[in-house]
Amino acid sequence: MSSEGIWDRLQTIDRRVFYWILFIALMIPFIRPIGLPIAITPTTRGLYDELAEVQPGDVCLLSISSGVSAWAECLPAMVASVKMLVRQEAKIICWGMGHVDVDITWNKILSQVPELETYTYGEDYAYFGYIPTQETTIALLGSNIREVFTLDKYGTPIDDLPVMQGVNTANDFRLVLTSDTGDVGSYYIRQWHTNYDTPVAEVGIAMLGSSYMPYIHSGELFGMTVGSRGGAELEMLIGSPGDATITMDAINVSHILVVIAIVLANVGYFATRGKR
Amino acid sequence: MFLPNVAQYPTDPAGIAGIWAAWLLMLAIYSYPLFKENPVYRFAEHTFIASTLAITVITNIDSLIRGPLNPLITKGQILLIVPVILGFAMYALLHPDYRWVSRYPIAILVGTAMGLGMASVIIPQITSQVISTITAPTTGASKAWFDFVVIAVGTICATLYFLLTYEHTGVLKPTTRIGRWFIMLGLGAYFGNTTLFRLSMLSGRAQYFLQVLKIIPM
Repeated sequence: MSSEGIWDRLQTIDRRVFYWILFIALMIPFIRPIGLPIAITPTTRGLYDELAEVQPGDVCLLSISSGVSAWAECLPAMVASVKMLVRQEAKIICWGMGHVDVDITWNKILSQVPELETYTYGEDYAYFGYIPTQETTIALLGSNIREVFTLDKYGTPIDDLPVMQGVNTANDFRLVLTSDTGDVGSYYIRQWHTNYDTPVAEVGIAMLGSSYMPYIHSGELFGMTVGSRGGAELEMLIGSPGDATITMDAINVSHILVVIAIVLANVGYFATRGKR
Repeated sequence: MFLPNVAQYPTDPAGIAGIWAAWLLMLAIYSYPLFKENPVYRFAEHTFIASTLAITVITNIDSLIRGPLNPLITKGQILLIVPVILGFAMYALLHPDYRWVSRYPIAILVGTAMGLGMASVIIPQITSQVISTITAPTTGASKAWFDFVVIAVGTICATLYFLLTYEHTGVLKPTTRIGRWFIMLGLGAYFGNTTLFRLSMLSGRAQYFLQVLKIIPM
């Protein structure tokens, strides 16, 4: 019989036990939603307000620099943003960099935005697929898109796309929505916002929330959604609850679990510190 | 009026096989943290690496064709042969005798990236940040002033913490200690967001787990 007390055992729990508890706990809210309230943060509000100002015919860029692995974080906000742009009757240009699975993400967006059925490819929106390298390419795209692309993803010459008529530099875009898991958003700020004054917003993973907050304060980002929570906020603002809203209950449960684990582990540590 | 998302459970055999393959591979990957290292996990890991490599190769070839090769061949823009050659020169890395050739494209990549970065970093990441930090709020809202003071104190104290040419004694002792607390708070926020990101990814997988089993709608 071990002489270890409960606080000692708390220090040596197999991490797999916690993983199992976490994985199971995450599933429960999907089966029985709790419906916890979601408050709207100023960064998401800023994004929504600017999207609401977009006029019919304005050309907006969706730059996808997040991979399939970040769908839970970025996809809901991208879907909600595209829905909002369609409602505003904006023209949408999309390309991706940094993640070679951008085609899968684009197809997922198309499948989740039925409103795009009212749009005609080539006239109202266009997709250019993956482009390699990052800041240098973004700088070149800002000065002359046709030096980077001569064909869209499906092989149509760029000049045969009506949506691209008169669109050649960063000045021709009403705004940029950049979905990131890394630094690409800062490249758009440096190369497009600083040089051309093009408004930029971030649709990023939660990790980028604190990194990009200074750009919000300095006005270089007009808005930002932080992870799936930001996606849920945007879904609420546009009145179209989706995956992020459903996911928020599960994320809240997981956070409570993590906080409880941290508190218990620390209590155990301090309770047994004297013995050691 | 917004329409609901249209993703549905697939009905065609290929689609059903696809989601079940993804479901099984997901469980195989999770067998490592939930159980232990095992052959099923290794199979899924190798499958993932192989498929990722295949997608990377195909996507980059497609990008090469739509990028420089198309205007080079169809429009005779002969100068575009230069980046194509430089790109292929990178593969000289694979041969020890010709590795030196790869230094030229790498030097150009590093040089252009550094030049672009240095030229464009000053305004957005230095001057704009300094201006936004020292500019007092235009509204009289108490929260705005509170934020302004917290950011100002945090910035000054955190900067003083890195003043390493003076010993942190006297007036520097409390200010650098406050600076250290601000840095720790910043790192805590960053770590908290990192945890949020990982848990979001996990919740996405938990949702997928249930969707494939038709316990919740896809």
